[in-house]
Amino acid sequence: MKKLLIMVLMLAMVLAFAACAAEEPAAEGDTAAENDPADNVLVMATNAAFSPYEYYEGGEIVGIDAEIAGLIAEKLGMELEIMDIEFNSIIGAVQTGKADMAMAGMTVTEERLQSVNFSTSYATGVQVVIVKEGGRVASVDDMFELGDVIIGAQEATTGDLYCTWDIEDEGLGTVQRFNKGADAVQALLTDKVDCVVIDNEPAKSFVAANPDGGLSILDTEYALEEYAIAIAKENIELLAQVNIALEELIADGSVQAILDKYISAE
Amino acid sequence: MINVNDLHKSFGQLEVLKGVTEHIHPGEQVVIIGASGSGKSTFLRCLNLLEQPTAGHIYIEGEEITDPKHDVNKLRQKMGMVFQQFNLFPHYDTLGNIILAPMKLLKMPKAEAEELGMRLLEKVGLTDKVHVFPAQLSGGQKQRVAIARALAMNPKIMLFDEPTSALDPEMVGEVLKVMADLAAEGMTMVIVSHEMAFARDVAQRVWFMDGGVILEQGSPDEVFSHPKEQRTRDFLYRVNEKK
Amino acid sequence: MFASLLDAFSVWFAKTEAQFYLCFVADDRFTRYILSGLGATLKITFFALIIGITLGVVVALVRVTYDKNALSMRKGLGRRLLGIFNWLAKLFLTVFRGVPVVVQLLIWYFVILASARNGVNVAIVAFGINSAAYTAEIMRAGIMSVDAGQNEAGRSLGFNYMQTMRYIILPQAFKNVLPTLCNECIVLLKETAVAGYVAVTDLTKGAYIIQGRTFVAFMPLFAAALIYLAFVMLLSWLFGKLERRLRASDQR
Repeated sequence: MKKLLIMVLMLAMVLAFAACAAEEPAAEGDTAAENDPADNVLVMATNAAFSPYEYYEGGEIVGIDAEIAGLIAEKLGMELEIMDIEFNSIIGAVQTGKADMAMAGMTVTEERLQSVNFSTSYATGVQVVIVKEGGRVASVDDMFELGDVIIGAQEATTGDLYCTWDIEDEGLGTVQRFNKGADAVQALLTDKVDCVVIDNEPAKSFVAANPDGGLSILDTEYALEEYAIAIAKENIELLAQVNIALEELIADGSVQAILDKYISAE
Repeated sequence: MINVNDLHKSFGQLEVLKGVTEHIHPGEQVVIIGASGSGKSTFLRCLNLLEQPTAGHIYIEGEEITDPKHDVNKLRQKMGMVFQQFNLFPHYDTLGNIILAPMKLLKMPKAEAEELGMRLLEKVGLTDKVHVFPAQLSGGQKQRVAIARALAMNPKIMLFDEPTSALDPEMVGEVLKVMADLAAEGMTMVIVSHEMAFARDVAQRVWFMDGGVILEQGSPDEVFSHPKEQRTRDFLYRVNEKK
Repeated sequence: MFASLLDAFSVWFAKTEAQFYLCFVADDRFTRYILSGLGATLKITFFALIIGITLGVVVALVRVTYDKNALSMRKGLGRRLLGIFNWLAKLFLTVFRGVPVVVQLLIWYFVILASARNGVNVAIVAFGINSAAYTAEIMRAGIMSVDAGQNEAGRSLGFNYMQTMRYIILPQAFKNVLPTLCNECIVLLKETAVAGYVAVTDLTKGAYIIQGRTFVAFMPLFAAALIYLAFVMLLSWLFGKLERRLRASDQR
């Protein structure tokens, strides 16, 4: 047993130092882009299953986040490269310098600010509740009053965070966390969850995609949240550059134009 | 006790038994000799249906066992079989090997089965090996346990398929002694073996099988000392030559 | 040189300590996500293993019985039924070994057991049946490895086919394949890491949730990795002990 313990401890140390080493490039402020000026590429990590913020169209990743990132890259005089990766791996990619920034409908929280920096907010996310006809939940109040309500959400999204705080932590129900928003909606269709809390824009897409499912979006908004770009804590230089670019784009109406284009086009 | 009527057995195209008709009396000991491939083991294995005969009939105590409706498992419970390779159960100790069948098949209480097992181990002279696993026994000891195991079901007939062929020469005697004791008690026995001396001492009849039939048979003295057939003489000559 | 190294280390240590607090202490996250996730992982593994071995043995028996006996059986209903069961067993093996387990899991959750609400139970079924397909082939190899004389010895005592299997063949087969079975068990434990696809908070998902809350990228993953490793080592140790006990009868 002693040998076993020593082996585990040794492995823990190796892993810890590996983690330390992995974070080092960011710690010295030389991300992939800045490291090699000739390779003048801005890598944006996202999870392209979140229409209309980021999704595939004809093999290309498009959407609000993709277009705003494109404009930021243009302002910085860089070429944009979008990295589509599992939602859970986005932050790892940013912290190890595999990506320079992340845009994936990310909500700013105190705790996350301890690990990464966030840019100025560029969009307001509206969290809504999708319910199924004849299901247990028919209003936002039901979620708090029925007891033992089961809420579906996409793991680590704003809907998940808020429902965990408001409902699960208060003992009013449980949150079932899916890898994709589409899976949460599928679970609602098969009565595995009572409702799904998700961003308003993808919610519309999901409801539209299941015309026979009896799905509808509650009129009452569940929460409002500001979306921002996540950048490695050590990469202060890029944060400043992105913020300047983003503020210019907001000021000249470019961001609003993109939001209007995608959201009114529904 | 055992009536065999025109027994045939083929493996695919190869006919191994070509019509055997014989009768074995209660309390009789028959030793079957013959070259390998002569059909002697196949004949023995047909008697408890380890091989399904292709044609012909076998009656045991008047019941036709070759009838498809006959319960083969009940039949085998009254016929013990001892194999050349012992086939002891390696995951049970000596006593466990012996009491498994009475306990599971006859629903004998454990204490009673163990008492029976001890009696049988005494009979084969292995009371000092009660809780020893087969891997730790010598060949002769293994075969004696195998005989005790077969006896535990209190069979009326015992079949021996070359029981001493896989043994080192110095261990043959201990196994043959146990078999001779059984014969002396009047057990009906069918033995495939090349032990001439043993056959002379124990057997009432010796069969010489050749080419799937019983070519010659008679008392040990008749077959061994005055064989009528040339092939029997050749066979006996070859066997004696080897010794 | 040494001082700067010490400095770097204390900076690293302070940072790690803060991350540790954020990941595991704050908001009771270790208990809520890692420990309860571990509970789900172990529950799924344990029950899937039971389903896997039970069903695996049944499938292996059908396959072995067909291969050994079908040709020598009398023509008739029994032989035809055995043929059908053997065909079903082969289909079972083809399908469940041919489709990735995570895809099977999603199909169970959303299609076959569409009305089931408990993801853990669905995961038990999906992993159990998937494991059964592998265990079946392991057990089949084990049964084939037992000497044919063992079967004859059992049958000659008057045991029927199933009794011979149960008392004589299977115990030996099980012993022969124990190392391979241990391997399957380890694979199963680690495969359950995809249970999060059906909203089960297992150990891996627990680590993901902490990642999502805190945006600390790796510490939750390392915690999960160490716990998996510890349980795999525990499993190997337990199987090794069992193997030594069963091998006691082999000593010469």
